[in-house]
Amino acid sequence: MVSILLAASQSSNPILPASGEIIWSVLSFFVLMAILAKVAFPPISKMLKDRSEKIRGDIEAAERARNEAELDRAKAEAQLAEARHESTRLIDEARKTAEVIKADLVKRAEGEVAEMRQRAEEALEAERQRLVFELRGDIADLALELAEKILQSQLDRSSFDPLIASFLAESEASSK
Amino acid sequence: MSILGAVNFPPIGEVLNWKPFFLGGSALAFNKVTLTAVLATAITFILFYTAGKKKALVPTGVQNVVEAGVDFITNSIVLDIMGPDGLVWLPYLCGLFFFILINNLFEVIPVFQMPATARMGVTLPLAITVWVTFIVVGIKKQGFASYFKHSVVPSGVPGALLILLVPLEILSTFFVRPFALAIRLFGNMLAGHLLLITFAALSEAMFAKSISLVLLPLPFAMLTVLTGYEIFVSALQAFIFTILTAVYIGESMAGSH
Repeated sequence: MVSILLAASQSSNPILPASGEIIWSVLSFFVLMAILAKVAFPPISKMLKDRSEKIRGDIEAAERARNEAELDRAKAEAQLAEARHESTRLIDEARKTAEVIKADLVKRAEGEVAEMRQRAEEALEAERQRLVFELRGDIADLALELAEKILQSQLDRSSFDPLIASFLAESEASSK
Repeated sequence: MSILGAVNFPPIGEVLNWKPFFLGGSALAFNKVTLTAVLATAITFILFYTAGKKKALVPTGVQNVVEAGVDFITNSIVLDIMGPDGLVWLPYLCGLFFFILINNLFEVIPVFQMPATARMGVTLPLAITVWVTFIVVGIKKQGFASYFKHSVVPSGVPGALLILLVPLEILSTFFVRPFALAIRLFGNMLAGHLLLITFAALSEAMFAKSISLVLLPLPFAMLTVLTGYEIFVSALQAFIFTILTAVYIGESMAGSH
């Protein structure tokens, strides 16, 4: 065997393999395979696997986050729609209430105005009555004074009062 | 004619048979080719060891190179050809790819400028390793009789044709495959090596003849282009060797013809 290898190592044909090259390349390759399989390759394989898992995990987490965000968005949109609906309802309700209050206030104000007018009219009537009464007294006094001046004598006031009152009542009735 | 006469093209034996550095005359003669094979082993190990040690989430530098290679072999070779079951062969195929690639790249590395794979002494043992591997895998997965039956008897072929086809299948699967693997890689790298030597010798001859300096850019430009092309061929041949290995092992695992 050794003689064959030696013969090969001394081969003059440049194409034929030389024994030294065969032995060293086989040795190199097997040593490489052994250390790759035992020492160098497992960390790379683990690293690639871990990274794949991390990327897969990150993608899944991102997908979950996206779904959650989508759900939150849908929820927020629903809440917004509900809030819009509620605000519209509240505005309508407030408008109706305001209209009721306004109508009530107007009605009350009108009542108060009518009452005030009535009171004013009553006060005016009372004043007018008082003035008429005073005027009657003054007229009676003037008439009596005039009559005394005409007759040149003192007249008894109490005896003429019913006559004056009757006259004034008649004149008042005729003036109406 | 005078220019051609100045070309100092070395004899084929001189560019392929390297003198031993030590252990000369013995079966373990250590020369330039064995040095590149040993260096390719060391460089492959250092690349993988450094990449495995860095463990950065975002790979850079060596880690990036190794990871890109491993990723390429995983997706373009193992998963495409062997399927997920073939992932157990990933370290072997990665080692094979990087070992051949780095050996090939020594073709263009200054000072070395000799790919170890341009020698049958390197490619033949690699091919025989693959040959032994796919036969052992086939026997382990399918059993001895079943594996050899599936390997040499094509299904759905009339009995009369089997007389012709079975010897051909035996020849193609068990004899041609390892030699085709070895000779394809050896031939391509040797041809590339000789091409580079040819244009380097031509450039040198042009340079030596001062009158021919105007012609110097042509062979030198060709040498530069071919150097780039040989880098591409180095990667391509490493890929072809690895993918064929995956195909052979994958066939043995699957049991299909």
